[in-house]
Amino acid sequence: MSTSSYKKGDPYSHSASLPDKMTVFQECLQQFNASPVNAKKCRQLLSQLLRLIYSGESFPSQESTTLFFSISKLFQHKDVSLRQLVYLTIKELSSTSQDILMVTSSIMKDIQSGDLIYKPNAIRTLSKVLDPTTVSASERLFKNSLVDKNPIISSAALVSSYNLLPIAKDVVKRFTNETSETIDSYKKFPSDQFQLHEYYGSSTTNLPSTTFMYQYHALGLVYELRNHDKMSLKKLITSLTDHQALKNSLAVIQLIRFIHKILIDDESLIGQLFPILLSFLKHKSDSVELESCKVIISLQHLVNKYEFANVINCLQKLLNVPRTATRFAAIRLVNKISIKHPKEILTVNEELENLINDPNRSISTLAITTLLKTIGSGTIESESSIGGESVDRLINKMTSLMDEITEDFKIVIIEAIENLAIKFQSKHKKLVKFLTDLLRDDGSLELKTSIIDTLFDLIKFLKNDESKQLILMNLCEFIEDCEYTELSIRILHLLGDEGPKTSNPSYYIRHIYNRLVLENSIVRSSAVISLSKFAIICGGDVKTNIEILLNRCLNDIDDEVRDRATLSLKFIKNNEKRLIINESKFDLNILENKLIHYLNDESNFESKFDINEVPLLTMEELNSKEIENKLNNLDKNDDVEIESNHKSHQIEESNEISNELLKQQEFSSELSSIPEFSGYGKLSKSTLKPIYLTDKENEFVVTVNKHYFMESDDAKLVLQFNITNTLNHLILQNVSLICQPDNSLYEEDFILSIDELKPQETGIVYVVFNMPNIDDIELFNNFNNTLSYVNREIIDDNGNIDESDEGWSDEYPIEDLEILPGDFIHPIYNSNFTEIFDQLSFEQSTVVNLPGVKSLDNAVTHFKDLFNMMPLEGSQDLDSDANSHILKLFGKDIWNNKVAIQVRLALTGGKVAAKLSIKSDSDNVAKFIVESI
Amino acid sequence: MGQTFSFTNIFGKLFYTQKEIRILILGLDGAGKTTILYRLQMGEVVTTKPTIGFNVETLKYKNLTLNIWDLGGQTSIRPYWRCYYSNTAAVIFVVDSTDKDRIDIASKELHLMLKEEELLDSALLVFANKQDQPGALTAAEVSQALNLTELKDRSWSIVASSAIKGEGLTEGLDWLMDVIKDEQL
Repeated sequence: MSTSSYKKGDPYSHSASLPDKMTVFQECLQQFNASPVNAKKCRQLLSQLLRLIYSGESFPSQESTTLFFSISKLFQHKDVSLRQLVYLTIKELSSTSQDILMVTSSIMKDIQSGDLIYKPNAIRTLSKVLDPTTVSASERLFKNSLVDKNPIISSAALVSSYNLLPIAKDVVKRFTNETSETIDSYKKFPSDQFQLHEYYGSSTTNLPSTTFMYQYHALGLVYELRNHDKMSLKKLITSLTDHQALKNSLAVIQLIRFIHKILIDDESLIGQLFPILLSFLKHKSDSVELESCKVIISLQHLVNKYEFANVINCLQKLLNVPRTATRFAAIRLVNKISIKHPKEILTVNEELENLINDPNRSISTLAITTLLKTIGSGTIESESSIGGESVDRLINKMTSLMDEITEDFKIVIIEAIENLAIKFQSKHKKLVKFLTDLLRDDGSLELKTSIIDTLFDLIKFLKNDESKQLILMNLCEFIEDCEYTELSIRILHLLGDEGPKTSNPSYYIRHIYNRLVLENSIVRSSAVISLSKFAIICGGDVKTNIEILLNRCLNDIDDEVRDRATLSLKFIKNNEKRLIINESKFDLNILENKLIHYLNDESNFESKFDINEVPLLTMEELNSKEIENKLNNLDKNDDVEIESNHKSHQIEESNEISNELLKQQEFSSELSSIPEFSGYGKLSKSTLKPIYLTDKENEFVVTVNKHYFMESDDAKLVLQFNITNTLNHLILQNVSLICQPDNSLYEEDFILSIDELKPQETGIVYVVFNMPNIDDIELFNNFNNTLSYVNREIIDDNGNIDESDEGWSDEYPIEDLEILPGDFIHPIYNSNFTEIFDQLSFEQSTVVNLPGVKSLDNAVTHFKDLFNMMPLEGSQDLDSDANSHILKLFGKDIWNNKVAIQVRLALTGGKVAAKLSIKSDSDNVAKFIVESI
Repeated sequence: MGQTFSFTNIFGKLFYTQKEIRILILGLDGAGKTTILYRLQMGEVVTTKPTIGFNVETLKYKNLTLNIWDLGGQTSIRPYWRCYYSNTAAVIFVVDSTDKDRIDIASKELHLMLKEEELLDSALLVFANKQDQPGALTAAEVSQALNLTELKDRSWSIVASSAIKGEGLTEGLDWLMDVIKDEQL
């Protein structure tokens, strides 16, 4: 959102009504330096100053410092309200002004012996003023405030300690005992707390004696202090839940989040921690119940169906409460479940139907989108009449609702329909009708764009030709009366691509020709291009007819239209198909990257930019990427919100997916810059996501990427080990790896080791193997890995090591690394699995039992990851109570052979058995995959 | 009319204690500035920590309102003294009489400070502090070390003091009040 639009929406930031910055500045200097100080006047000025700052104004460092020093002079006045404002202002100025440490002593004195009213302000400001050199002087003060009986002071100290963590972790660590003590303590407001405040005045009788908010603050701090120790964190959780120490619901919510974090790191703890989560489902606070539901939902794969029903019951209850916010949160969670497990929530359908008429439109919209999914799932395998009816009913309801709701909600519903249609392709017909009806109604460009986007996607991903035609014909109708030039152009382009492949191209030609007669020049010129595509693809009569039409365009009044017509006619005459129709596109991410690279250094300009370095993507590959992104977005939608560090991690991950090729390109240029690898030819494939060979919180964290160079005769495997030294007192020297392959066809070639790895540094060790090629079948291998290094201890604060001590060498075993079939395969999308499966000539099949895999869900993930192929026809989603499932995977190996695998899964007695049929263009590939299992 | 007007004006200056008198306490770190401030304000000895920044207290002394600023003496804080010079009626400069090694530095800081334009009209009172300790220089010796006799056009005085015992402080302050009252009339 742009700044200007933000300001428009915010009634408090009308710049017109803000006081003038310079006037306020001058007046502040004048009043604050006056003697005696006029407290009332100064309070007003400080308020104006704060208002300026809060609405986004800032002062340059020098002015800010001047202000700061003049404000510091107000410490001579005893007025408590003035002092509070002084603290607020100093806190705001602390980031821009210099020398803020000048008020340290004055603040510390206030904390020690000042008035209760501004003591918390003083504590909070102190944390902004302190720097690493002065923080130790305040240690005692903080400890006393932490254990203060007044909860407000204690909270201020807790929050301030939290803020001090980045600058003085060591000092704050010494507060651990005081902080833990605070969680368990009972602190209540002093009886006169509110009487001091004019706002509460006489009505002090009904006020709570404590809110336990300090528990929330203390818990946050304790967590930061123990974050790196999983055991002690676990102990904290169990001890806090054992005797139900937490009375504050925010604190409980925080605790639930910590449980979530621990479980993400170590799923095996679910047995111990699940009962705790379960107990929170019956809490008196809605928020706690919701948070607990949310965590269990995100860990659904670890929970069995019977236990999961508790969550559904809880949500069912929450859907009926009168509090709108709670209902909204609950239905969001229900919606989240519905994305992957629509069957689980069939029990709440009745509630959902009621919520369609909820006065809150956000709730009713979510209710509809959720219902769309549950009904879809109910009918996916059997087109029962009941299911069909309910879809009709729902669409009717939506149609009536559509008149009442705002466009934003319409767009949400349209998106839901798209997702639904992609996941459950059998349902598209009614949905297409719904969309096209909506398209005919009045609407803004934004709304129409989202409908058009959805229809475009459906054309791309639906396999049914009939429905494609239906959409195309509706689009033709739409452009007959379309007021938005940009939409007309997009549709014309699409018609040019898809129209010629249909059974009745002349229908579309007529509509396109109408554009040539009726529309503005921009639309006319794109109609020319569109028509020429029909000519070149259909040939025959169509070609001659279009040539006649285009000849007429040669007299058009607009240059562009004439130019395009002339050009197209020439191409059609010479049958230059390639010049009219794009069969492949450049990868835009990489193109951009390369161009930036090229433009950054003028010395590059001596040679021409080499467009051949940018890989071409065929339409097929492009579609695969698009649908993959779509499905991923669908799944990731809700996970993103979890927690800060987790969040960044996940965003990284989703970026990784969208930039897969970019990443590959990065590896490729990184590797080609290393002289030792220069003769290896083109990098065939890398595994993009680093594989962890240690725990993420170990002393040394090792991840690995595999790079395959398969194009030259002697294939090479380069293992890139990324090693991070997390120890603060050790420098590692001669860091290397010992990799023992099981397969004798792998021979170690050489190792590029790291000379020195300082604390908190990450270095890369490359280990290079000669590897067998595809003809050898026995491609697979297991590497047994050990890290070897020389320890050198750091003896002073500057990170120097004792030169006389030679250190000692050590070895550190890390996990094994496997070569997997997925390393050689790219996922590819295709809308019709069965057809392609039948076409492929070489077949192999095998049956395996999967030890350790206990559910079909896990088995699907297992195979998807193992083969790195794309599940087609929605076969990655399965019913939670099914005992068998068919997974359809499709991909392309690095030798450009298509590979399709059909996996029949069966669950018996808690064990999963799988029968795989592998088909491919090449016998070798099929064999090597069988071999791998 | 005019006569009455100017009369109240003079009258106000004389008897109204409304106008606060701003006094700075300066000196090297560890000289005893904070101890002197609180000895004056509360009449007792408090335990102090090195002042990071300043302490400010208001006290009534002989019907006058004094606004006393005690600025930290550490090397890192001295540069900021000048931010508090304006409108200062008097400077109390505190010297640790036992710290012979650093008395030259004290002298340098003192003269540097007195050169500031904003302090041209301020009176100067020097406390030769820590007289209770053995080996303390006398007031005369301190005066010589600080080159006080060189000061022209300024009311100044040096008083031997012990903040711990409370000796010399009132004498010094009395002198200061007299000078300030004179100057304000």
